Amino acid sequence: MARIGVFICHCGENISATVDCAKVAAVASNFPGVAYSVDYKYMCSDPGQRMIIDAIKEKKLDGIVVGSCSPRMHEPTFRRATAEGGLNPFLCEMANLREHCSWVHEKGDVTTAKAIDLVRTLVEKVKRNTPLLPIKVPVTKTALVIGGGVAGIQAALDIANTGHKVVMVERDPSIGGHMSQLSETFPTLDCSQCILTPRMVEVAQHPNITLYTYAEVESLDGFVGNFKVKIRKKAKSINEKDCTGCGLCCTKCPTKKIPSEFEQGLGFRSAIYVPFPQAVPNKPVIDKENCTYYTKGKCRVCEKVCPTKAIRFDQEDEILEIEIGAIVICTGFNILKTSFFPEYGYGVYKDVIDGLQFERLASASGPTLGEIRRPSDGKIPQKIVFIACAGSRDPAKGIEYCSKICCMYTAKHAMLYKHKVHEGKAYIFYMDIRAGGKMYEEFVRRAIVEDEAQYIRGRVSKVYEKNGKLIVVGADTLLGAMPVEIEADMVVLATAGIASEGAESLAQKLHVSYDAYKFFAEAHPKLKPVETNTAGIFLAGACQAPKDIPESVSAASGAAVKVAALFSNDELTRDPMVAFVNRTAPPVFSTCVGCFLCQPVCPYQAIEKEEIKDRQGKTIKTVARINPGLCQGCGTCVALCRNKAIDILGYTNEQVYTEVVALLNEY
Amino acid sequence: MDDIRKKAKELLENKTVQVVIGYGKGSGEEARAIFVRDAAKTDQLIFDETCLQNLAVYILKHEVKHLGKIAIVATSSVLRSIMILASEQQLKDGDLVVLGITSDGKYIDLPNFKAIEDYLATLNVSITDKEKELLKMIDAMTMEERWAWWQNEFSKCFKCYACRSACPMCYCPKCTTDSNQPQWIPVASHQLGNMEWHLMRAMHLAGRCINCGECAKACPMDIPLNLLTYKMIDEMNANFGVTVGMKPDAVFALSTFKNEDKENFIR
Ligand SMILES: Cc1cc2nc3c(=O)[nH]c(=O)nc-3n(C[C@H](O)[C@H](O)[C@H](O)COP(=O)(O)OP(=O)(O)OC[C@H]3O[C@@H](n4cnc5c(N)ncnc54)[C@H](O)[C@@H]3O)c2cc1C
Ligand code: SF4
Ligand code: SF4
Ligand code: SF4
Ligand code: SF4
Repeated sequence: MARIGVFICHCGENISATVDCAKVAAVASNFPGVAYSVDYKYMCSDPGQRMIIDAIKEKKLDGIVVGSCSPRMHEPTFRRATAEGGLNPFLCEMANLREHCSWVHEKGDVTTAKAIDLVRTLVEKVKRNTPLLPIKVPVTKTALVIGGGVAGIQAALDIANTGHKVVMVERDPSIGGHMSQLSETFPTLDCSQCILTPRMVEVAQHPNITLYTYAEVESLDGFVGNFKVKIRKKAKSINEKDCTGCGLCCTKCPTKKIPSEFEQGLGFRSAIYVPFPQAVPNKPVIDKENCTYYTKGKCRVCEKVCPTKAIRFDQEDEILEIEIGAIVICTGFNILKTSFFPEYGYGVYKDVIDGLQFERLASASGPTLGEIRRPSDGKIPQKIVFIACAGSRDPAKGIEYCSKICCMYTAKHAMLYKHKVHEGKAYIFYMDIRAGGKMYEEFVRRAIVEDEAQYIRGRVSKVYEKNGKLIVVGADTLLGAMPVEIEADMVVLATAGIASEGAESLAQKLHVSYDAYKFFAEAHPKLKPVETNTAGIFLAGACQAPKDIPESVSAASGAAVKVAALFSNDELTRDPMVAFVNRTAPPVFSTCVGCFLCQPVCPYQAIEKEEIKDRQGKTIKTVARINPGLCQGCGTCVALCRNKAIDILGYTNEQVYTEVVALLNEY
Repeated sequence: MDDIRKKAKELLENKTVQVVIGYGKGSGEEARAIFVRDAAKTDQLIFDETCLQNLAVYILKHEVKHLGKIAIVATSSVLRSIMILASEQQLKDGDLVVLGITSDGKYIDLPNFKAIEDYLATLNVSITDKEKELLKMIDAMTMEERWAWWQNEFSKCFKCYACRSACPMCYCPKCTTDSNQPQWIPVASHQLGNMEWHLMRAMHLAGRCINCGECAKACPMDIPLNLLTYKMIDEMNANFGVTVGMKPDAVFALSTFKNEDKENFIR
């Protein structure tokens, strides 16, 4: 006969205000198998826990039911107390008398009756509980950082400096991300390249960091502490060991008129190219889509001029397989292109540009060497209209959120313009100025007061070209929606920040969730901002939502600490609530028939094949096996298996069925 | 038919197989399954319009398996069952010798799964006129009428489980109905328990049933229970565009998620 102890908590008055706790305890004491039953004001308090510990010893209890708050709140507390009393902690169950009963019902007999029912179901369940042992899995202490923007750089350096190995995978030929394209950065106006380049170099030289550029994640298997990642190193068509980065090939390449991605199409590059002078690694790649040798079969000029014979036209993509323990996703963001906006000319007006293009115009290393010249004719614009919230905060455009960085960089752009073209006039159409952040409001003020940026609150309905000018038609809502028309030389759209290209497919490869806008989703918006819902996979930077540099960097350091904390263990302990495939007596061995229809249904790829062998090592039967390190105990496979060959430890079919039956049967 | 007899004889003589599953004369009107183990007895094999049973049900039966390697006279139902069993990893190519037979009794050489797949692709699989008629009737009912109709049909069931035994896809060594810890399906036959059994059976065969109709043929109470699983085939086709049992390596539509699936509510 079972000897169950029932402990009913008042939770101050949270439960006892509507539930007659003493009655629940009294009725429970008569349930078959209950050896001891009490109620107490705060079961989670020290004396409350002591009651459980003492009762286990004195009354020789073999199962515990605590009727109190949600298990999310205090399950660890009561399991610990159960363990201290000498029982396996998984022989303790909690009936949620607060969230499931007292908080949601009025005071009365039926409420008390429901509390009694809840306790009874768990008394019946706990009779069928078995001792369980936590699962231990080893940890591979190498981190994978995906994306080498400022967030990825920070995360990689921070992790590497704790003494752990880091593998960084960057899709482009160079690391640096968007920050390497910026001219000067708000709110301090320091030169973006100057503060970023040293860190890019540090990544390349750090003994703990292995950098793979021009590479992407191909697939991911495994689980926290034990991931296996396949990385596709795209063929660069050069031997990086031999290449000295002299750049002769790039100067001699006859295919020169390819719009440069780095210059946002405002400059050109050759088919063999280094994206920008400070690139890390500073070695070229051949863009196979534009190289005449790859497209037409002749040229090979670069091969001839290369002093070290480093060109390899026959190089193929390489797939690397690496074991890692944790991942930080830092794949950043992108911005909408001007072609997205019919009202601003679909991208056909050359002098309607986006924010990143303006950054390039303002950059000393940019296509105009830092002079603000308009793309169409190279003239210095005397009037620029900046349009904030281009696409953002606009449900009609499908983007309801605020892109957050645009108010700030638009103020910066107006400032930079004024610093370079003193007689120039900057107009900024805006909805609200959002300048929350240290020194941000002051920065915007400076743009208005010192640099005479003229802010107009209202939206622009149309931009069109007339006699070499851009006519901007808008409204000033602070003047009663008075129509405004400005003849501008150039228009800069602060286009919405959007998820980086390929974010969705990457999320699917990594099995992490993403939001409706395809930004990666954090596990909890407040308390777990750098975690994903998948254990061991973290987030940093603008891949989560548009972020500025300080935010991206702090998130990266946060994620790095999470990785370091994970790597501080040699083994990870996990709750044993995982699925397992049953075993039965021969000749059946397991009711699993090995149909493997369950395999594709597991969201965590936890289901493998296992061979049951006889003593001679001959396979008798192939059945499903659940990898306990991967299984998250979701139960999907349990529901799928026709003959119920799978059970979840701690929530077996039998246990759950018993609970249901106990609830249905009148006591 | 002579071809088949000859082939069967050969296979038994040179010991390629130990047993040939085929049709023989039954005691009544209909043919029955026979298990020929002796080359001299292969002339007992027959094929006529009464040879309808889906012999695939015997392939995985313990009693048959232990006789040794199997050759099987295979109508299109048998072939489709074999495709399902292969997709569910119960059979590997080469595990058995398939003696294909057309509905008018001609032998077709089907040396491997690929050949079966190609042959099946040329067939037009459809249901009988009588079944079409019944389905039309059921489809025309309101939800309540339909529920009442099935309840009435299933009230006749006395849980002999002949339908289960006749089904090639019901090969579980321990059916959920055999479990008493917990007792998912009550042993006694009463309205609720019968309904539970039949809903469960239908769900277990959704996306796997090929509508050979064996269950309904086996039922001593003449319950047209194959219509329930047939409806699932229809649904499967409409929702996922799959015809069940046409390929040896098909993925199970109900446990597979593809990005291009029509429904995207699950994303
Ligand atoms: C016009 C403009 C001006 C700005 N000005 C300022 C400013 O003045 N001050 C400020 O604080 N912030 C500014 N910002 C914001 C700043 O650019 C971002 O905060 C910062 O770039 C975010 O860094 P990140 O590393 O998260 O992302 P990113 O810079 O976008 O870097 C992401 C990196 O990941 C790589 N990547 C993407 N997908 C993959 C993949 N699947 N596999 C491998 N690698 C991948 C990309 O190639 C890239 O290198 C500005 C932004 C814009 C658009
Ligand atoms: S556990 Fe069930 S669904 Fe999975 S292979 Fe075994 S029988 Fe099939
Ligand atoms: S319980 Fe969920 S996670 Fe575990 S094996 Fe089954 S489907 Fe996979
Ligand atoms: S009814 Fe379901 S569990 Fe029973 S034998 Fe058929 S498929 Fe297996
Ligand atoms: S064969 Fe007929 S009576 Fe027997 S269990 Fe099946 S449906 Fe019921």
